[in-house]
Amino acid sequence: MDTSHVLEVQSIHTFIGQFHILEGVTVTVPRGSITVLLGRNGAGKTTTLRSIMGLTPPLQGSITLNGESLIGLAPYRIAQMGVGYVPEHRAIFKDLTVRENLIIAQRSARDLERRSDLIFELFPDLAKFYHLPGGNLSGGQQQMLAIARALVPDNQLLLVDEPSEGLAPVIIEQLITAIRRLSEQVTVLLVEQNFRVASLLADRYVIIDDGQSVASGLMAELVHDEALIQKYLGVA
Amino acid sequence: MPQTRSTLMIVMALTLALLLFSFFTSRGDLGSFGTTILSGLFLGMLYFLVAAGLSIIFGLMDILNFAQGAYFMTGAYITFALFHLPAFQGVDANLRFPSAVAAATAVGALLGLLLERGLLRPLYARPIFQLVLTFGVAIIFGEALKAIWGTAAFSWSPINSFGIHQSGFEIFGRQFGTYRLFVIAVGLVLIVLIGLLLQRTRTGIIIRAGVEDSEMVQALGINVRAVFTMVFTLGCAVAAFGGAIAAPFLGANLGMGNAFLLPAIAVVVLGGLGSYMGTAIGSLLVGLAVAVVAKFSTEFLNQTVWSSITPMLLLILILLLRPSGLFGKESR
Amino acid sequence: MANESRLASWRRVVQENAPYLAIVIFLIVFPHLVGWITGDSPFGVGGRPRGQSVFWQSVLIEVFILTILTMSYNLIFGFTGVISFGHALFFGLGGYILGGALELVGLSPEVGLLAGVAVGVIVCGVLGFAMGLVTLRLRGVYFAIFTLAIAEMFFIYFGRLPLTNAEDGFSLNALPDLINPTRNRLTYYYLTLFFVVLTFVFIRRLMHSPTGKVMLAIRENEGRAQTIGFNTLRYKLLAISLSAMMASGAGMLHVILNKKVGPEILGVTYTVDPLLMTIIGGVGTFSGPIVGAAGLHLSERVLNRQFVIGPLTIDVGQNWSLILGLIFVLVVLVFPKGIIGTWTQWRTRRRSSIG
Ligand SMILES: Nc1ncnc2c1ncn2[C@@H]1O[C@H](COP(=O)(O)OP(=O)(O)OP(=O)(O)O)[C@@H](O)[C@H]1O
Ligand SMILES: [Mg+2]
Repeated sequence: MDTSHVLEVQSIHTFIGQFHILEGVTVTVPRGSITVLLGRNGAGKTTTLRSIMGLTPPLQGSITLNGESLIGLAPYRIAQMGVGYVPEHRAIFKDLTVRENLIIAQRSARDLERRSDLIFELFPDLAKFYHLPGGNLSGGQQQMLAIARALVPDNQLLLVDEPSEGLAPVIIEQLITAIRRLSEQVTVLLVEQNFRVASLLADRYVIIDDGQSVASGLMAELVHDEALIQKYLGVA
Repeated sequence: MPQTRSTLMIVMALTLALLLFSFFTSRGDLGSFGTTILSGLFLGMLYFLVAAGLSIIFGLMDILNFAQGAYFMTGAYITFALFHLPAFQGVDANLRFPSAVAAATAVGALLGLLLERGLLRPLYARPIFQLVLTFGVAIIFGEALKAIWGTAAFSWSPINSFGIHQSGFEIFGRQFGTYRLFVIAVGLVLIVLIGLLLQRTRTGIIIRAGVEDSEMVQALGINVRAVFTMVFTLGCAVAAFGGAIAAPFLGANLGMGNAFLLPAIAVVVLGGLGSYMGTAIGSLLVGLAVAVVAKFSTEFLNQTVWSSITPMLLLILILLLRPSGLFGKESR
Repeated sequence: MANESRLASWRRVVQENAPYLAIVIFLIVFPHLVGWITGDSPFGVGGRPRGQSVFWQSVLIEVFILTILTMSYNLIFGFTGVISFGHALFFGLGGYILGGALELVGLSPEVGLLAGVAVGVIVCGVLGFAMGLVTLRLRGVYFAIFTLAIAEMFFIYFGRLPLTNAEDGFSLNALPDLINPTRNRLTYYYLTLFFVVLTFVFIRRLMHSPTGKVMLAIRENEGRAQTIGFNTLRYKLLAISLSAMMASGAGMLHVILNKKVGPEILGVTYTVDPLLMTIIGGVGTFSGPIVGAAGLHLSERVLNRQFVIGPLTIDVGQNWSLILGLIFVLVVLVFPKGIIGTWTQWRTRRRSSIG
């Protein structure tokens, strides 16, 4: 068994209703790395993360976490095996306070206590608004909370979906620093439309186009491969 | 929070309007005014016991449980039957009643567990059928009660009954049963207890989070289906408990299911689907409104029909005027 | 040339609908058939509506009425995906309005009949429309709540209304001879049969029209139908108004048959029956309501007695609704497509495995 990879997704096929959304996606995530999923709007990036999480379970293909298969497991079992999920659009619980948003992510009673130093160091704002409802936070603070929530338990892997979406440049810089810091502790699979952010953060990339993974490799090489970027991402 | 403040203003205005209306139509008879308000609180507490489960279950699982009234009715029948069972007549009445209530609540919980696990769980992919099924189950409960106990209504006579059921007290010259006051107190305690459970415990946090986004709760490593089952079971148990403690005053009859389901739905819509505070406040408002209108229509219109259709009229009015409820966010 | 192609198209229609035509023809000769076998005239015995043929006519008239009611329910629930928990409202209100026009207003029977039918159908159509207008923009469950509340309110209200004799209701004596079921049972049999065929043909043509296609699309996925650019509210309102009118017609046929109007026609039975019959027959199929209504009503008639199984005595007649409810739960869980849907599925599967 190859333990240098935390996550291995092998040609998965996912349906939503009768629609065939993923038609063969393969992603491998090396331990300790940040891997980014790139691709146009509607390519299937979010669906790939949701398939890994078991929220839209694939009908074909295999997914393994540290060699253990995730296929057929309920999402909560997958989470308990050490997968943290930061969904798109900052899906925090708006009626719950910051503290409650973090408490709910605990898997054992002292998780939050153990991690609070790290969390407050990365995101000092959260300490300031600890007892305020999540819905009262700014967009950037909500995104910080969503990431902090995934940091509360011990996770092997974080799935982070478009963290920079709709944030001001200053906040994005803060976010980049934070994601770098936390990647020292945990492996990250990131979806990021902002190519600059992706190139600053990621070690490796996988390009998804129309439900299929079409290219992958080192981020440092992709930056120079203008033909590939043009073809699938449409940015120069 | 300006939205909450304006909502509270509306609530206070409505309450005040109801109180004033009742006060002036009782033409200076303070006793009549007082008993009307107490009757309203009594009804409101019973509505709350049905509506609490209805609202939380709807918020969390997206199922409006049309069988909730049937659980209330079943609770009343079981309590009535056990209390009057000849075999138990040797037991002291003051012990017989709480035991009957406990048994009825337990049966309600069990039937709730069976409904969620056995019938609703296979249908989460087909929500329309879930709705239809709860409606069907309500009918089945009614028919089963009819098959066991017949169609005649039972009324609970205070003679040969238990302690507080026999006593009453006087407000401004009018009699009011101590037992109904006891029910009001029990209701208040439960409102606070369930509120604390939701606010202070981890389970409560999970439930409130699930009302917002149950998929995300699941993705945090929590077995949401198990939480669904627990909440559904508790919701049905509380409704059955409501019927059980209502029985000494209301007896047991086959019309009870709808007579409490519809006002409870009115409460839930008024309070805002899924909002606990809305449910608690809405219960008292609807209870007061029903009692005030009932008294007015029997005294001034000489027609009891208005009092029996008040809950429906209220529900229709709420749906017409404010379908998103007082504390609700969305109704689409 | 033109004649020939018309002939050809008729032949096609006949071929496509052969099973339905066969059933209709059978139902037309049925009273005479029973009369011929049993020797009891289909017109009654001794100048009175008695005998086997007349008995079976009334049973089938009941089936026909329930079929119309169920088809109307299937139009909204099965074909458009809208849940109503108060269909009895339209059934009962139709009955009350017709009964009122015949007995309480003081019109001649003929005028009363025409006025009652016209007013009843229109009022129910408008009421359905208005109820939809208020709640159908909201989540689906609101319409279910609204219909339940209004139906229950009318049920209680008419149960107490002195004008219509409260709980006891009133009987219809001023019926025009032609539709008087005691005088002319056979005529009434054919009349109700005619309305079943009419409703059936109407719904089928509707569902094969572009309008019907949109209704089906709404049932499948309302959001998508909206995205394509349809004003889904309009189509749902149309379905509900039509359904309410049909249900009111069924209620009218019902009160004429029983010559009595009482609050029970607004009761939950006439909501639950079409719901169960639709689901058991087959949601969203054309023949499902017929199979459901006929199957359930005939079984009730046939099984209406006590069964002794070992030490147990089960009174099926007494507990019919309970049994029905249990069957319903079973069908929802195990055969959600109902009798017709399951059968069609089984047949196509067999065909594809052979071919
Ligand atoms: N519930 C659904 N029903 C039907 N199609 C869906 C559904 N959810 C997603 N899709 C389709 O699946 C495809 C992939 O969606 P997905 O959200 O995975 O894309 P994405 O790569 O994350 O896009 P974006 O960058 O816009 O977030 C899209 O074409 C989308 O239209
Ligand atoms: Mg996405």
